[in-house]
Amino acid sequence: MISLAGRDIIHSWGKFVFTGFGLGLLIGITLSMAGIYRGMVDDARVLLDNSGADLWVVQKNTIGPYAEPSSLYDDTWREIRGMPGVKQVANITYLTMQVAKDGSDVRAMVAGISPGTPGTPGWPPLLVAGRHITRSHYEAVADVATGFKLGDVVRIRRNHYTVVGLTRRMVSSNGDPMIFIPLKDAQEAQFLKDNDAIRQQRRRTAANPAFNRPAVPGLLEAAVATQSVNPFVNAVLVQVASGHNPLTTATSIRRWKNLTVYTRAQMEEILVGKLIATSARQIFMFLVILSIVSSAIVAFIIYTLTQGKIREIAVLKLIGTKNRTIIALIMQQSMALGAIGFVVGKISATLFMAPIFPKYVLLLPLDSVIGFIAVMIICILASIISIRAALKVDPAEAIGG
Amino acid sequence: MSMKGIRIEGLKKRYGSGDTAVDALKHVNMHVEAGEIVGLIGPSGSGKSTLLKCLGAVIEPTAGKMVLGSDIIYDNGWRVRDLRALRRDRIGFVFQAPYLIPFLDVTDNVALLPMLAGVSNAESRKRAMELLRELNVDHRAHAMPSKLSGGEQQRVAIARGLVNRPPVILADEPTAPLNSDRALTVIRLLNDMAQKFETAIIVVTHDEKIIPTFKRIYHIRDGVTYEEKGEGRSPTEMAT
Amino acid sequence: MKKIPFRKGTLTLFALIIPLLALFAHVALRSGPLAPIPIVLTAVEHKSITPSLFGVGTVESRYTYKIGPTLAGRLKSIDVDVGDTVKADQTIGAMNVVDLNDRIAAQEAMLKRANAQLEEARTRHEYAKTQSFRYEQLYTASSATEELSDTKRHKMMVAKTGLDAAQEEISRISAEREALIALRNDLFLTAPADGLVVARHADPGTTMMAGQAVVELIEPDKLWVNVRFDQIKTRGLVAELPATVTLRSHAQRTLKGHVLRVEPLADAITEETLAKVVFDQPPVPTPPIGELVEVTVILPSLPPAPTIPNAAIHVVDGKLGVWQISADKLQFTPVVTGDSDLEGHIQIHEGLKAGDQVVVYSKDPLSRRSRYRIVDQITGETP
Repeated sequence: MISLAGRDIIHSWGKFVFTGFGLGLLIGITLSMAGIYRGMVDDARVLLDNSGADLWVVQKNTIGPYAEPSSLYDDTWREIRGMPGVKQVANITYLTMQVAKDGSDVRAMVAGISPGTPGTPGWPPLLVAGRHITRSHYEAVADVATGFKLGDVVRIRRNHYTVVGLTRRMVSSNGDPMIFIPLKDAQEAQFLKDNDAIRQQRRRTAANPAFNRPAVPGLLEAAVATQSVNPFVNAVLVQVASGHNPLTTATSIRRWKNLTVYTRAQMEEILVGKLIATSARQIFMFLVILSIVSSAIVAFIIYTLTQGKIREIAVLKLIGTKNRTIIALIMQQSMALGAIGFVVGKISATLFMAPIFPKYVLLLPLDSVIGFIAVMIICILASIISIRAALKVDPAEAIGG
Repeated sequence: MSMKGIRIEGLKKRYGSGDTAVDALKHVNMHVEAGEIVGLIGPSGSGKSTLLKCLGAVIEPTAGKMVLGSDIIYDNGWRVRDLRALRRDRIGFVFQAPYLIPFLDVTDNVALLPMLAGVSNAESRKRAMELLRELNVDHRAHAMPSKLSGGEQQRVAIARGLVNRPPVILADEPTAPLNSDRALTVIRLLNDMAQKFETAIIVVTHDEKIIPTFKRIYHIRDGVTYEEKGEGRSPTEMAT
Repeated sequence: MKKIPFRKGTLTLFALIIPLLALFAHVALRSGPLAPIPIVLTAVEHKSITPSLFGVGTVESRYTYKIGPTLAGRLKSIDVDVGDTVKADQTIGAMNVVDLNDRIAAQEAMLKRANAQLEEARTRHEYAKTQSFRYEQLYTASSATEELSDTKRHKMMVAKTGLDAAQEEISRISAEREALIALRNDLFLTAPADGLVVARHADPGTTMMAGQAVVELIEPDKLWVNVRFDQIKTRGLVAELPATVTLRSHAQRTLKGHVLRVEPLADAITEETLAKVVFDQPPVPTPPIGELVEVTVILPSLPPAPTIPNAAIHVVDGKLGVWQISADKLQFTPVVTGDSDLEGHIQIHEGLKAGDQVVVYSKDPLSRRSRYRIVDQITGETP
């Protein structure tokens, strides 16, 4: 027996290939949507992975530092360092802001990292070019997604930073690229007011008779000085020594230090479960809509193709073709269309769509497999209408009328 | 198989029921011997199409008997179980338009029938090639139907009708779109084939050009058939 | 029987489908998580590095003179303004103490009165002395009683004491007057050294407290930089080390200097160590006091040792180490790191030897099972 579906496809290949391309672009968008969702989850995960921490110590009763603002005194780490099971601690600040370079600016999450050696919690775990920060001021390691190059000078608040290293896939949970700068600079960037505000503040203080007493020279200067300190960080990253259960350590910090502590799993729950939940639902809705649109298109195309073959089907039935053969003819065509569409979709999603999306698009092989199965199921379902129409064709139509 | 050809006795076909019932066929008797070619002539609404459909095992008659070769097909409400297989194996069809499958080439259009019956591809194609050679279209064996002329298409259609060596071939207006010469050629071919393969051929037509070639003609009027002797002229002579 | 020939349509279809499938296979295997990770290798170098320390500081003056009145009063005049240079002992302003001259006049009047009292005491003393002498002779001549003679001598002694007291009173009043005059002279504010006026806190007419600064003076050729170093990075910081100083206003120019001293007191709050760095040559023009500077202190070169870029250091299972390729597989080699310099080189004490190849950059995190692809550099951002 020859494959009727195959012969028909070869005979009218143009129709199939071009329809397949069109369908493929739609499937490509669908795959990209799934990829965007995966990318968002991955963004959240890499943010946690890259911080290199087992525990996050944050301001009491906050879900910081990523999902809520949190601030701690920058000497809190000293008391945590002494807790049993703690191997390494590091202060960290995060601030999402515009980073300027040559008149244009980029939205980025600026992370202030504690001085130390590579491997300190909070440091970028890998570079694609350049080197890690070695000076404790005015150096930056930027994600390549910022568009910055080695040697670029960028401005964060009032200071200029030289880009000395480039990383990849260092993003905030919103997908903003990260820029790492030394902690002290970051504290300044986060808590220091702009010059005008500082001047106004000084003026107000000077106008306050309580601080500007003629009989006490130096009081005003002292009062002003206290206003410009910024002894805060957003979180303390903790690495737990091997052999210690992070949960136990977390419990003891929580209990004795009156701080809120999150483990890796809890943090992931916060980021994936809370921060990106709405976006994820939105993308899921897009996926559903796109799947419906795709199946409608496949159904319509297959129906049109079948309608064009009604006479042939009548003849086939008259000359004794089994229903099974006719069902196979239509269903195979539908699946072939789906297969072409999937291949085109996967290629276009990977090569053309993913690179141009501003957010990270992660195309997992498993998603592709699921996508392929879904496409096949959609195609089979979409061919049902056509199959019903074909089965209704009366073989008598082929005779006379 | 001593008995060949097709016999119909007292065939009736009623559409609908009760007051709205229409008797499309009232009383039809026909017999066509193997190797014989007969004409079936009737005006529109005479029941001609219904008869053809009953003969083609597409619709069931309400009453009457139909015997194909030695097999009873219908007998007053009883029928063979698999009409589809019957159509495939025992009845050949040649239509007004050739109705070739556009996405199969000439060979496979013909070979499709044995293939559907479960014959191997190679054997099916071999049978198809033999018939195409018989009908002088073997030079177009690998062409697609859309590339053939009208006459060539009709020959392929005849080949398809014959490929399973059916005891009966129903030809529905096989010459309608053809000019006189080609129409006669088709009739000649059908004649040749009928004799060669011992097939009974019923040609439904109102084509004046070919009516004189039949030795026997059935007229059908208001669901009743009347047999009549034809002129029985040779199509070869008529063409010259 | 002929085999099924390929028709034009079939060929075109295959011409489209085969590249498409090839592309698909490429896309499925060469991108996404299944793709090999591009890595960049570098060789471990055997070289000496010069570690440096980097700190941020402000330009400060070594000596700051705050010049102000020693007693409360109104600022009468001020002759200098910010930016003026002054010489030592130059008068730069004057105070006005409202009743000072009157008090001096009162002292002078008191002095005159004391002089008159002195004269009176002297006259009285002369008379008493004469009387005493006469009665002593009379007593010797037995013309007078001994008692009378003793009385006269006693009177003379009393007059003498009165004279001494009057003289001391004059000294007292004179001294008081001198003090007031000295005070009047001190109302002129004078420069203690050659210097530059950097601040002027009050204008004439302002009432000043004793000790409040009217002007601030610095010695512009005696600047230093107060540098703060993160304590974690101060190993090896001692006096006399050479340093380079970059002013914020002149980012391209580096000035030479050296560490004058490391402050014995560190800043416990900011976790920083303080040091003073002085310029070898006074910078021209003089930078504003308080300008931010970046200071790099150059430590002595270290003996050569295996050295790698710090980007090659990774942490796996809590261990510092580097990725290497061994028998076409990635392998993690733990290392013990030593000193590093500001250019990102880090010395390796254990784990590597010169000439070894290590992974310096990779596009994605590596694991022992990762597939990899060696490239010259990682470019572009493709997922």
